[in-house]
Amino acid sequence: MITEIQSREEFKTLTESGKALVEFYSKTCGPCKMLSFVLKDVDKTLDNPTIVVVDFDEYTDLKESYDVKGFPTMLMLKDGQEIQRMQGLKQKRAIIEMIENA
Amino acid sequence: MNYNVPKVQYLRIDHLVTQQNRKEKEFLSQFEQGNYTFESPLIVENPYLINPLAAMVLFETEEEVNATITVKGKLDSTADISFSFGPAKKHIIPVLGLYAVYENTVEIELSDGRKTTVMVQGGELPALTQQVEKVFTSPEYMADNLMFVSAAGKSLPGGYDHKGDCRWTLAENFVFDMKRAKNGNLLCGSYRYSRVPYHAVGICEITMAGKIVKEYRMPGNYHHDQWEMEDGNLLVLTQDFHRDTVEDQLALIDRETGDVLRIWDIRGLFPMDVGKSGSWSEHDWFHCNAVWYDKATHSLSLSGRHQDIIINIDYETGELRWMLGDPEGWPQELVDKYFFTPVGNGEFDWQYEQHACLITPEGDVMCFDNGHWRAKKKENYLLNKDNFSRGVRYKIDTEKMTIEQVWQFGKERGQHFYSPYICNVEYYADGHYMVHSGGIGYVDGRASEHLLPAFLDPEDPTHVQKSITVEVKDDVVMYEMHIPTQFYRAEKLPLYHGGDNLFLGEGKVLGTLDVTPEFDTIPDSEEVSEAPSEWNQIKIVEEEDRFTFHGRFAKGTLLMLCLENEKESHNYYISTTARPALAMCVGSFMAADDRQLSLNVSKLGFSGVFTVKYILDDKKFNTGITITFP
Repeated sequence: MITEIQSREEFKTLTESGKALVEFYSKTCGPCKMLSFVLKDVDKTLDNPTIVVVDFDEYTDLKESYDVKGFPTMLMLKDGQEIQRMQGLKQKRAIIEMIENA
Repeated sequence: MNYNVPKVQYLRIDHLVTQQNRKEKEFLSQFEQGNYTFESPLIVENPYLINPLAAMVLFETEEEVNATITVKGKLDSTADISFSFGPAKKHIIPVLGLYAVYENTVEIELSDGRKTTVMVQGGELPALTQQVEKVFTSPEYMADNLMFVSAAGKSLPGGYDHKGDCRWTLAENFVFDMKRAKNGNLLCGSYRYSRVPYHAVGICEITMAGKIVKEYRMPGNYHHDQWEMEDGNLLVLTQDFHRDTVEDQLALIDRETGDVLRIWDIRGLFPMDVGKSGSWSEHDWFHCNAVWYDKATHSLSLSGRHQDIIINIDYETGELRWMLGDPEGWPQELVDKYFFTPVGNGEFDWQYEQHACLITPEGDVMCFDNGHWRAKKKENYLLNKDNFSRGVRYKIDTEKMTIEQVWQFGKERGQHFYSPYICNVEYYADGHYMVHSGGIGYVDGRASEHLLPAFLDPEDPTHVQKSITVEVKDDVVMYEMHIPTQFYRAEKLPLYHGGDNLFLGEGKVLGTLDVTPEFDTIPDSEEVSEAPSEWNQIKIVEEEDRFTFHGRFAKGTLLMLCLENEKESHNYYISTTARPALAMCVGSFMAADDRQLSLNVSKLGFSGVFTVKYILDDKKFNTGITITFP
C-alpha cells in the first residue's frame, strides 16, 4: 500500500518494523510525478508492499536525518534502518528488485 | 514537408554525408562538362557545406604537372598557407586556410613554370565561431601550424594561425577530442547529438575541407576521447544505456565496417563508490574522459574524473596494472597492490578530476590536472579562487610502485589558469609541451564558485569565460592564445598533411545506433483533441536513421513521448528537471533556454507507421505527425 505520511508519528509507525520503501518527493519535480505512477505499478505487482511517501519540502527534519539531498530519493528501510538508496527516477523492475532483495 | 497540425513543425533532413555526396557530384559533373583551364579554373566555395574557409579549385592541363597552391597572408608572407600536389592532368585542389569575408589572393604555380593568381572569396564565419582575444608567439615557432580547438561552450571548432586569425572552422559542432589520423584526416566526435547531456551518436573522420569520410555510429554513443590503433581500428569511449551507469566503457571499432569488435568494461575492475571526487555520482561514478594506448607496454590508460584516478589496464586481458591518484578513500588492498608512493625531494601534488592522460615515450604519465575540489574529504575542498590547474608530468616506476613529479606548468598562475573541467596536455618532446586550460570562468572577477564555467552567461557582464592555450619549451612560454569562451581540447596541426589531402567519392555512415530504451510505466492521461500549444514549440525532425522530438516545457512537468499505432505503442520518458551541473564537459548542445528539450529516437527495434503523441501532465496530445520505422 502507498501511504503519504501526514505526521512524523505515522512515518515512525510505518517504518519502524519490517520492510518499507520510502520515497522523498517534491510537488515541483517532473521525475517525482512520473515516479508516483511507477510506484502505483509496483504496488499492484507486489503483494502488499509498504511504500511510504514523504514531501521533501514539508518534512525537512526527516530529510536531514536521512541525509536526503535531492528528489526523488528512495530509501529501502528494514526495521527502520536504511539498507539501500536510489536517487532519481527508476523503472519498475529496478524498484521491485530492491524491495525483493531487502 | 508535412504540416498535418499547424502548431507542430515537421522537418526532414538528410544526413550531412548525403548532402555532401550530392554537392560533390554536382561540382565534379560541372567540371567534367566544362572547359576549365589553368588560366580559368572552376572555383567552388565551401565545397562541403560546413567549412566556409575552404574552396576547391579545379582545372585541366594538357601535360601532367605538379601544382603548388598558396593562400596569401593578409598582412605578410608569414601567414601564407602553401602546399604542393602531385602530378596530374586533372587538378582537383582543396584550398584551405582562406580568410573569412575576404577576397583571398590564391597563387597557383605549376611545375612547368606557369603561374597564375585567382581570387577566392572566403565565406562568413558561423555566428558561434570565435575570434582570438590575444595571441603571443612567432611565425618561426608556429611554422605552418594552426592551433585547433574543439568546442565546449557556445562555440564551434576553429583553427587559428600565429597572428590569431581564424583560418579554419566547421559550421557543425564536431565535439570533444580532435586528433589527426594517420591518413591526415581528423577524427572527432560526430555533430549529431544523441543523449543528455553531450553524447554524440559516434565519431567522424573528416577531411580538412570538411568532408565526412565516415561517420561511425555506436550503440552506446561516443563521449570525450578516441584513439587510432596501428591497424587503423578505433578505440572509442562509450557506455551501455541499458544499464544504470554511464561513461564507463571502451569500445574497439572496425575502421572499415564500423562494427564493435570488443568492449572493455571499467565496471567490475574495482568498487564504484570509493575514492570519490567531489563530482562523483552513482550514475556517473567513473566519468572516463580519456583513453591512451601505449605500445611499449601494450596497455591502455584511462582517466576517471569522478574517482580522481588514472588507471592502466592490460590490453589483452583487461586486468588492472596500476592506478595513479590520491590513495585516500580507496580500500587498502587496492592501495597496496596498485597505487604509487611519492618519492623524491621535489614538489609533489596529486591530480584531481584530471583530463587527457598520456604516456610519454619515456613511460612517464602526463595529464591536465584540473584540480577541481583538490581534496578527497569535503572539509578539505579548496575554494576555486584559491585553487589551480596545471599540466603535470609524473615519472613512475611500476616495479617499485613509486612516483615522482618531474614537471608542471600552471600552478603558479593560480585561479587565472583554473579550469574545473575539460582541457588537455600534449607532449611534443622532452621539455616541450602544450597545456590547454579551456574551461576558465570568473564571476565578479574571481573564479566561479557555484556555477561550472559551462553555465556562465556570456550576456551577463559579471560573467567571464576564457580558454587559454600555452606551449612551453624548456620552461619558456613559446605560444599563448586567449579566446573568450570554453574549448574542450586544443591540437596543433598544419592544415595540409603528408597523406591524401583530397578524398573524392561517397562518404559513408557506418555502424549502428541503439534501440532507444523505453519506459515501462505509462502515466494516466486523457487523450485530448486540442492541438499542442504554440508555446510548447513542438518540432519533429526526421533523419534517415532516427527522429528527434523537440519542444519547450516548463520545469517540473511530466512529459512522455508516445509512438502509437493500432497494434502497439512505445513510450519514452523525458525529464524536465534542471540540467546536471557537475560534469557538463561539452555544453555546445545546450539550448539557451533550458526549458527547450529534445529526445532522439532511433528507427531500430520495431517497424511500422507510428503517430507521434506526447503526454504532458495528465493530457495526451497528438502531434498529427507520423513516422515510418523501416
